[in-house]
Amino acid sequence: MTVTALEEKTQKTPEGPAPAYRVACDVGGTFTDICILDDRTGRMHVAKVATTPDPIEGVLQGIAAGGVALKDMVLFSHGTTLATNALITRKFPPAVMVTTQGFRDVIEIRRGTRNDLWDTYAEMAGPYIRRRDRLTINERVDYAGKILAGIDEAEARALAAVIRKRKVATVAVCFVNAFANPANEERMRDILMEELPGVAVSLSSEILPEIFEHERFSTTVANAVLAPVVGSYGKGLAERMRAGGYDEDVLLLHSGGGVMTAKTAEKFAARLAASGIAAGAIASRHVAQLAGYENSIGLDMGGTSTDVSLCDRGNLRITKDWHVEYGYPICFPSIEVLTIGAGGGSLAWMDDAGSLRNGPQSAGSNPGPACYDRGGKNPTNCDANVVLGRLGGKLAGGSVKLDRTLAEEAIRKGVAEPLGLSLTEAASAVIKVANANMADAVRLISIRRGYDPRDFALVAFGGAGPLHGAALAKDLSIPTVLIPPNPGVTSALGCLLVDIKHDVTTMFLGNAAEVDPAIVEKTFQSLEAEGRERLENEGVPEDRMLFQRFIDMRYLGQWRSLAVPVSAPVASLDEAIAIFHEEHGREHNYSQTDAPVEVYRLTVSATGLTPKAEFAKYELKKTTPVPVGHRDVVFDESPDPLLTPIFNRDELPAGTVIPGPAVIDQLDSTTIVPPGVTAEVDAWLTIIMKIPLAG
Amino acid sequence: MTPAKTTQTLDPVTFEVLKNAFINIVDQMAEQIFRTCYSFVIYSRDFSSALCDPQGNTVMQGSGDIAAHVGTLHYTAQAVINNFPGDIHPGDVFVVNDVYQGGTHFNDTRIVRPIFYKDELLGFAQANGHWADVGGAVPGSFNVSALDHMAEGLRITPTRVWSQGRYLEDVGRLIASNTRAPADIIGDMQAQSQATHIAELEIQRLVEKYGIDTIKTAFREVQDYVETLTRQRISKLPDGVWETEDYIDVDPAAGEGLVPIRIKMTIKGDQVHYDLSKSHPKSISTFLNSCFGGSFAAIVAGTKMQFPDIPLNSGFYRVVTVDLGPKGSVVNASWPTPVAGFCSGPFEKIMNSIFELWAEILPERAMACTFNLEYLLIGGRDARYEERPYFMWYDWMVGGWGARNGRDGWAASGPVFGVQLGTQPFEGQERLSPVVTTEHELRIDSGGPGKSRGGMGVEKGGTLTLAERSVVSYCCDRERSVTWGLWGGLPSIPHGVWLNPGKENERYLGSLFSSVPIMAGDTITRPSAGGGGLGDPLERDLDAVCEDVADGYVSIARARKDYGVVVKTVDADLALYEVDVNASHAERARIRSARLGWLSEDAESVADRYRAGTLDMLDLIRQYGVIVDWGSGELLKKTTEQFRAMLMRRTVPYWTEVAGSLRDAPTLQVA
Repeated sequence: MTVTALEEKTQKTPEGPAPAYRVACDVGGTFTDICILDDRTGRMHVAKVATTPDPIEGVLQGIAAGGVALKDMVLFSHGTTLATNALITRKFPPAVMVTTQGFRDVIEIRRGTRNDLWDTYAEMAGPYIRRRDRLTINERVDYAGKILAGIDEAEARALAAVIRKRKVATVAVCFVNAFANPANEERMRDILMEELPGVAVSLSSEILPEIFEHERFSTTVANAVLAPVVGSYGKGLAERMRAGGYDEDVLLLHSGGGVMTAKTAEKFAARLAASGIAAGAIASRHVAQLAGYENSIGLDMGGTSTDVSLCDRGNLRITKDWHVEYGYPICFPSIEVLTIGAGGGSLAWMDDAGSLRNGPQSAGSNPGPACYDRGGKNPTNCDANVVLGRLGGKLAGGSVKLDRTLAEEAIRKGVAEPLGLSLTEAASAVIKVANANMADAVRLISIRRGYDPRDFALVAFGGAGPLHGAALAKDLSIPTVLIPPNPGVTSALGCLLVDIKHDVTTMFLGNAAEVDPAIVEKTFQSLEAEGRERLENEGVPEDRMLFQRFIDMRYLGQWRSLAVPVSAPVASLDEAIAIFHEEHGREHNYSQTDAPVEVYRLTVSATGLTPKAEFAKYELKKTTPVPVGHRDVVFDESPDPLLTPIFNRDELPAGTVIPGPAVIDQLDSTTIVPPGVTAEVDAWLTIIMKIPLAG
Repeated sequence: MTPAKTTQTLDPVTFEVLKNAFINIVDQMAEQIFRTCYSFVIYSRDFSSALCDPQGNTVMQGSGDIAAHVGTLHYTAQAVINNFPGDIHPGDVFVVNDVYQGGTHFNDTRIVRPIFYKDELLGFAQANGHWADVGGAVPGSFNVSALDHMAEGLRITPTRVWSQGRYLEDVGRLIASNTRAPADIIGDMQAQSQATHIAELEIQRLVEKYGIDTIKTAFREVQDYVETLTRQRISKLPDGVWETEDYIDVDPAAGEGLVPIRIKMTIKGDQVHYDLSKSHPKSISTFLNSCFGGSFAAIVAGTKMQFPDIPLNSGFYRVVTVDLGPKGSVVNASWPTPVAGFCSGPFEKIMNSIFELWAEILPERAMACTFNLEYLLIGGRDARYEERPYFMWYDWMVGGWGARNGRDGWAASGPVFGVQLGTQPFEGQERLSPVVTTEHELRIDSGGPGKSRGGMGVEKGGTLTLAERSVVSYCCDRERSVTWGLWGGLPSIPHGVWLNPGKENERYLGSLFSSVPIMAGDTITRPSAGGGGLGDPLERDLDAVCEDVADGYVSIARARKDYGVVVKTVDADLALYEVDVNASHAERARIRSARLGWLSEDAESVADRYRAGTLDMLDLIRQYGVIVDWGSGELLKKTTEQFRAMLMRRTVPYWTEVAGSLRDAPTLQVA
């Protein structure tokens, strides 16, 4: 790319600025969301279309619906669940794995654990490559990288002949201890490329050069099966875009929260596996930062599930422990998102002992909540919100009608009668249980990790987030709730905000007090060289490159490690060790400053900065908004319904102040402002609610 | 159905919120331990957490806990209460691993912290983890040849390690100094103590929010809730009495012959009772015995697996009761009997028996026998380094689970001891020990044949490189009491270790042995068994057998012998195979007419043919029901009689040619 070209395009404005749009697109299972930023004004608008069987079609329709011509786009960035869905549905072309003799089943044996500990009839899907498609070769490298058995050329070529007969497009090469010495894997790759031109080859030593066979093999296999899927999609998308006049790179959002070009994505296909999930977390951070909050918790509540993420001092939490299906880890650094089965459509139900439960089963969008009148009979959170008046008679600007009578009937039969409660009490019990479940999820990702929710702002988005945000914040003692301008398409916004990013890692084992800083420095430099090469391949100029260094450390004898940032050049590890003790104390409640610390892994995060978008800042005007109507709403704070004003969010300019109780409706969401809470619209059109905390 | 009316006094919202909060708290404890532990055994998820009330009853147990710990944490909380009457204070922390006071084995060390609000004792938080070593005669503290518990490791009766917030360094040091890795022990104690601290803080937060009385009520009503839920389920089942028995391989002091563990289960109304009093009345001469804690854990875990969605606490134990019979038996060992191997011995046999009993009541959840928990330990000096440090290649495997009703068994999964007990990465092991892994692969033909096939077992071995003064020990079982099939299904394969397989100096070492010297260059290998089969293998779908051949789960030879399916190779390069349907029908008819006769053939002559190489190990087990010493080929006469009787009971009556004459064939349902 072209970051420079981008600037030229935006700056060369001979006769009034030419149209220049940044377009981001989030392709989900049901909807394709488009977020468009006009570079000339900083103003943003959104569009939403149905996802199409060929997702590229939906993307183009969405851009058209947003009123943008492809030739007027200066940047196109894209988050997609394509890779995630391919893994979930197992829809990818056949692949072959080549591995060390005696170790054909590493990816089927896994770590041997299962996610359901008690249900002997719970099934677990098999590995991404079946046993019959896993071929072995006699070769072996030891723990220190010494070659115990090299590749026999004739055997390797015979193996290639078998693969040719099988007509596969992609091969994973996974050899034992290849992280310590990739020579055998590389030799195998060279032979495969000679014998099978055009076939994609994923090497474990290149995809994830880290110790632990299952994690490395599993990531490599996921990469191999996704390579043809992501490759042809990226190529197809880029061609259609180019044909329409967009001649910059198509950028794809990866799980770690950066973007990469379609060309790189083909090689590191599995990095897209959490692309869609990452977008929401990035957007949440952005919304919070604009409003001045460096610490935020993102709560993205949709119809069937809720994604929770956490941003600490401007950094989103990253995990390397991630999977689409349990047992098959994909160990690229990914933004940590906790997903729980609680959404607008989650069912409220009574168990055998007469206790009220909520989710994780959901009415989904079909039949949907009872109030949708599509045949659903069981009470959902959505029905409870209708009964309480928190939701009105329609959703999505009227495209979905909500039938209050049906909602009441479902709540009465499913909850009120069995528990002997009034209708209102029952509906409010349903919501309280749902909120408590979500609060527990937030506790797991915050308090459990040593973060105090009182230091955070809660960003509530997704279609249902703004309905529950204030109540949740109250329960968690979170003082501030932020509702982004377009809660339902916030994830797409996340795709606009990212830089090109690569993480390059290597194993580096040694006692932190004894390792030679000069060797650490040298290793970092070679990691940086590799990161630089990757960025250069993506056309990033030197002055837009940024390199950050991390050392993964742990107490000698421990199994889990923590990533500690270090500055360049490394002259001593003392500071890193001190930070490690401090971080360990925060995250795990204790540190042992006299215990030996082990260095485990070095990482360089190589970033290619894209020029930042300028968002329009609106002038604050103190206005008194006029409600579009009133209705009775039941709040947790008051046993009796309150006649509550309803506002239309589109009519609320920056600076608007609305004292609760109030309901703010918009096309893609409804915000509840409880009594005692005040909502303000800030300069970026985000609604900020201040929650009065007890005590 | 109508939900039960309970005596619940909390409003439904508060109740559900607090119940979930308690689950959240024990899971937070688990997360903390997992992230900060030092013991690689804990890191492999051998740990558990609980919240107990002031009487020690369990209010909530971790949802990710190891199965072998369930049903024991209330005993250890009560041990602390009984040992320190009137002497438990805020900020105190106790440690206990005593098997004679409800523990499982000495490695499972529990940290117990009283939870106070202001000055009132509200309950206890408990974090239990398997420490990698607790001293004793052998590294890892699994001493196969221990004569009493003194030889196993340090017995910690309830002991205070923090007193009113102050760490008692002398006590901690005394404990740690009696182990082989003192620094790790201190680290784990710290990690577990912190986990209980988290629980205390969370309970205090809840008290401030909901009031102390509400929390106390919730502790009681969450137990009542589980009791009600369990009774509801049980009362819907038919009343009746069911019996079965399973076997430990041998009591070496008593000579060859399987050691029976007998279980009688009675369902009456809304109560389940297990009677183990007819089990082998004496503790055996190896450490495969169990104290009451370990046996009760097996009862609870096995029963809980029939009701996977019911949370565990003391309410469950009010419904599920047990009579272990007189003290001093193999399932109710008394002081000072060694019991570290309870997990490979009685625990396994009780749990698998429970699955068999419940298969009669809930056939839609039936499951045949699962592989036996095993671990292998090579210890010695690591000559890769000048200082020759100690190394421990402490290894356990995953294996195959029993075949199920309409479904094959799980391949390569953790043991019934706790399915989350995963394998360790061998690339990590190779760094830490001078042992090169020779193989870690599914073992062909290891799944017990049946209409549903047992899950696949695994083969794993290693060759010693620069190792000195090394010995190997092994703890397992079921080399003779082979992992069995159900409803006509066949057994899988025996457990057992081989030294230098295929070489001149090949030796069979068996499934339970201690400190056999081995040298650099020696190779050790062993399989984990697959699961037993379920249903008559001659009724397995022909194409399913062919698919198993294509994936190398079943060999062409055994497809014919075990399933009567004749499979032909079309193109091995493409993994293409096909079934010869006519030949298969003929083969199945031939096996049907002969197989009952095989089980009464003269066992001595069968053993002869094994020694002569005309019959192999799986022929003996699956066709003739004959058990020999797998190394020497010597017939084990009494064991064979018992094994054949077991097959006549569990397998033969369900074969189509005999079913009806002996008993009704069950309806195999697709679950």
